Amino acid sequence: MTSLDVGLSVPAVAWRDRLRALAVTVGAGVSALVIGGLLILLAGGHPLDAYGTMVQGGLASRFAVGQLLTLATPLLIIGLGLALAFRARVYNIGAEGQLFMGALAGGAVLLTLDAPRVPLLALALLAGTAGGALWGSLVGLLRARWGVNEVISSLLLTYIALFVFAWAIRRPFADPSVGNNLASRPIPEDAFLPTLPELFVHYGLLVALALVPVVGYVMGRTPFGFRVRAMGHNPDASTVAGIRTGRLIVWLMLISGALAGLAGIIQVVGVQGRLEAGLSQGYGFTAIVVALLGRLTAAGVLLAALFVAFLNTGGQAMSVEEGLPYSIVVAIQGVFVLLVLVADRFSRS
Amino acid sequence: MDWSTIIGVGLLASGVQLAMPTALAAVGETVCERAGVLNLGLEGMMLAATLAVFVAAYYTGNAALGVLAGVAAGILVGALKAFLSVFLKTDQVINGIVIVIFAQGMTLFAYERLFGHLATQPEIAPIRELAVPGLSELPWLGEILFEQNALFYISIAVALAVWLLLFRTRFGLLVRAVGEAPAAADSAAVNVDLVRLLALLVCGALAGLGGAVLIVGDINLWGPNVTAGRGWVAVALVIFGRWNPLLVLGGALVFGITDALQLRIQAAGGGTESAVPYEVFQALPYVLTLAVMVTATIVAQRSAQPSALGIPFRKGVRE
Amino acid sequence: MSAQHLRRAAEPRAAEPPLVAMEGIVKRFDRVTALAGVDFDLRPGEIHGLLGENGAGKTTLMNILYGLLQPDAGTISFAGRPVEIRDPNDAIALGVGMVHQHFMLVPTLTVVENVLLSERRAGVVLTRRHVAAVAEELKACAERYGVDVDPSAPVWRLSVGEQQRAEILRALYQKARVLILDEPTATLTPFEAEQLLPRLRAMAAEGTAVVFITHHLDEVITHTDRITVLRGGRVVATLEPRETTTRELARLMVGREVAGFAVGLREAPAARGEARPAAGEAAAPALELVGVEARGPMGNRALQGVDLSVRPGEIVAVAGVEGNGQAELEEVLLGLRPVSAGRVLLGGLDVTGASPAERLQLGLGVIPSDRYRRGLVRALSVADNLVLDRIGERPYGTALRINGQSILETARRLIQRFSIQVSRPEQQAGQLSGGNAQRVVLARTLSRDLRVLVAAQPSRGLDVGAMEFVWGQLAAQREVGVAVLLISADLDEVFALADRCHVLYRGVLVAAWERSEFDRERFGLAMGGVLEEHVESEAAAASGRSLRA
Repeated sequence: MTSLDVGLSVPAVAWRDRLRALAVTVGAGVSALVIGGLLILLAGGHPLDAYGTMVQGGLASRFAVGQLLTLATPLLIIGLGLALAFRARVYNIGAEGQLFMGALAGGAVLLTLDAPRVPLLALALLAGTAGGALWGSLVGLLRARWGVNEVISSLLLTYIALFVFAWAIRRPFADPSVGNNLASRPIPEDAFLPTLPELFVHYGLLVALALVPVVGYVMGRTPFGFRVRAMGHNPDASTVAGIRTGRLIVWLMLISGALAGLAGIIQVVGVQGRLEAGLSQGYGFTAIVVALLGRLTAAGVLLAALFVAFLNTGGQAMSVEEGLPYSIVVAIQGVFVLLVLVADRFSRS
Repeated sequence: MDWSTIIGVGLLASGVQLAMPTALAAVGETVCERAGVLNLGLEGMMLAATLAVFVAAYYTGNAALGVLAGVAAGILVGALKAFLSVFLKTDQVINGIVIVIFAQGMTLFAYERLFGHLATQPEIAPIRELAVPGLSELPWLGEILFEQNALFYISIAVALAVWLLLFRTRFGLLVRAVGEAPAAADSAAVNVDLVRLLALLVCGALAGLGGAVLIVGDINLWGPNVTAGRGWVAVALVIFGRWNPLLVLGGALVFGITDALQLRIQAAGGGTESAVPYEVFQALPYVLTLAVMVTATIVAQRSAQPSALGIPFRKGVRE
Repeated sequence: MSAQHLRRAAEPRAAEPPLVAMEGIVKRFDRVTALAGVDFDLRPGEIHGLLGENGAGKTTLMNILYGLLQPDAGTISFAGRPVEIRDPNDAIALGVGMVHQHFMLVPTLTVVENVLLSERRAGVVLTRRHVAAVAEELKACAERYGVDVDPSAPVWRLSVGEQQRAEILRALYQKARVLILDEPTATLTPFEAEQLLPRLRAMAAEGTAVVFITHHLDEVITHTDRITVLRGGRVVATLEPRETTTRELARLMVGREVAGFAVGLREAPAARGEARPAAGEAAAPALELVGVEARGPMGNRALQGVDLSVRPGEIVAVAGVEGNGQAELEEVLLGLRPVSAGRVLLGGLDVTGASPAERLQLGLGVIPSDRYRRGLVRALSVADNLVLDRIGERPYGTALRINGQSILETARRLIQRFSIQVSRPEQQAGQLSGGNAQRVVLARTLSRDLRVLVAAQPSRGLDVGAMEFVWGQLAAQREVGVAVLLISADLDEVFALADRCHVLYRGVLVAAWERSEFDRERFGLAMGGVLEEHVESEAAAASGRSLRA
């Protein structure tokens, strides 16, 4: 298990453990980059040049940073929800489906309702959050009521969500001018999220950043967060001590689903401007990596989201300029999270 | 829509064929879950295997070598899973998810590295169907079961053999013991870690074979999402089949037939203009799997689940 | 008579060299030294009593001999030859068999299959013929030593006594020359225990060395040839039963005079018990079970038509050997296991379908039998564990904020009041010893306003000091008018505390006695499902069997 033992109300673990967790993560990250270097060599590139291009492409211009932050936004929002749920060992891996259901619910509001800008946007965000929450809580109810394994049910529901979404943009919300029925009509122009001045990134970033301290506070300082931790460590003892674990499971699935849904509708109003499959490049799955690399803490998730976003935007630059496969960065991500798991265990024994 | 072209012997024939990759993976998962290891990395195992199969078959032109490569890749991922679950004793849910993520990254890289420069998507040659003399003449059954490719016959035999392995061999006895009461097995001089490792290797081999059937026997090309969640469906089928390989196999056949049904409905003109959207049929196998898993969980009340499933075993520590 | 005869036959063997000699055995767990240089030897044909308190190191020493644990220092020799026992495989090969206190059988497998687990002679394929042959051999073995058990029965269907016999049978089948029995009588009814002992004597007569781990003084005196007493990981004495007394053994075992303590606790509640009924009967029951039925984990009928009531200010015990529905009864009371029929009433309110949380709010307190699994969250601090059930309540916090300071204050107070030995309240609960862990559970549970207290096996595995403390706390709850239900397999505990008592046997409450009717022999028989009218015929049949053996 990645470290669950941080941030207790009355700490049973010393600050040393937090340092250890950080050291493990950084060590694993460096090793992953070394292995990534080998992959670059294997693909016929030069590791240092390639990494240099990644840094250039990922960080060197204001536009590049804007791209990075735009990508980090959904990863951060979803990652926070997943970190919270994973702490209770409620393993929601269907955030991708919850994201699309959120986008669909919010998009439906935008495409059908005729309202002034602010209420329309507010309603759309609300509907998006609710859409994701609904899809997530379905999984929670199945687990709480009958003990249905949430890992599998959340994943199967993701496939179902993708088909529902595909149908919606092909039929009721279809844009006849786009071929192959791959996108909906555009949303009203004035429902777009404004862009932050001086940066190429929409206001959704602020929402995501604001959520970091909120989720951190909920995890570490509230009775809810305490119950989540207690349940993660020992569900039986928690139940006997009067913690309603079933209700907690539903809440955690609802919250993590809601955040995924919120990320989905923010992608619609902040980036795409319409409903289409390109809303998410598997962000719901990448956010699992983000939550695990962030060691299930709010601050950690923030750092991990930025790092993973950097890997991806930098990786795009690398693939364009160096002609190397973009998938190198996907592989680095996989190696990184695997190494964290291994190094964490070794650092304990 | 002409339903008579959809429902019929052909449906069952393609259904059982479509079922085999999932069936083999699910039967493999049954073995390692019986040994007490929850392997959510199954999708990753299949994915790694499909790429290995494709690469080997593409470069050698030999389907049999492709199958062997797939089995080997599955075993390798099984060893990784064993390293994480049995020796490091990390959380089995987390390490399963991590294995899937890892396999996705590595296969995608390897594929792009090997084939990224090609203008057209590479393909391998399909293998021939093999009519079993005599039996293929049987009405109905002949067409469904005995006019398939060689891999199909091997798969069916292997899936059935797993039942024998679990219930008629000493190894199967040890597997069932370590999944149910590892401490008791340990005190009876059974090497719990070793049995779990072997069970995971068996699971890997079966998932690898499943991947091979998918590539060599069916689609003949590779893409990043070629397994399409079959590994996850397989995990759900194990619950449906109550950890009994024969029931699991049966469940997989139902899944395959549903899959064949939706493909045929789409092919039979249920395209963009039909009254019922084709997405409904595309989603059908997943909806069915979910429904079946929920029902099985409610009915079984977990009583068939191996007691030590998902719990790492530590020698000398009483849980 | 037969036992006497056999003992004399065994005596000449005492002069032979030891079959097993363990020398200077040291074993540490983390910082705790479980064995500090123990010498122990076994002669062929003897029954060797290994006596000691919980935590004295008896089981650890024998787990080393059986290869389940590795010693940090020391040597083991077998018939004069030094040996290394790396795992049970080596032990079985040497002819060491062990019958564990918590039986080590796979419940879903049959007895034969369990035996086949450690059988190396079997080929890859388990042929029906091979399985049948092993079953036949087991049957022969069973008949020879009078340990009757059906080899083809799945273990989960067997009673506790039958499971023990299955383990003994496995050791016999493996041709054990050394048979270790860990607390063999602890989970048996007195009647079953009486049947067991002559069988052990018969095995010893054939040259098997039997180790008999126990803390029952009477048993070692009457049934063993030699006694080794362990205390705190050291051997304090090795002696012969005829040169000692139960009183001396008790002093050796505990390191102080114990008679006063044991007598004191047993007498005092009795006196109080006589004064109580008048008050108790007047009040309405605080806890009531009406016709409760429940299924066990295997779908078996674990509880059948259980009727039970506890009034405020009394302790009602449910005695009986574990495995007769005790676990299911506990889970039904906690709200963890659904009932298939009947009702559970708490203070007159129907709580049959209520969750544990709802029951807690109605004044139910629970001391679970598995204190690590159900009592504590080991990864959290002691302080957090002490307020686990009231974390959102004032003054420990509001819905939006935890008050860490107030949690620490309460924790310090409870740590003092319940004498919990911790370095500081922030210490991780998983590091606590059994006694301190139980004190944390008690402190949390008893510092609430309770109406009903369910205590399941509350002193199991605790040393004398901790046990004394737990019993005192339960008695104090009765004094303040709490209705206490005590589920216990320990007759001493029931005698010390209960005002009324039932016996749970195979899911049925077979007895209901007032304190004045308490009688050890009656208890013993009822715990084995024998009601008084059947006693004589059963006893006759039993003695017939043991004579044949």
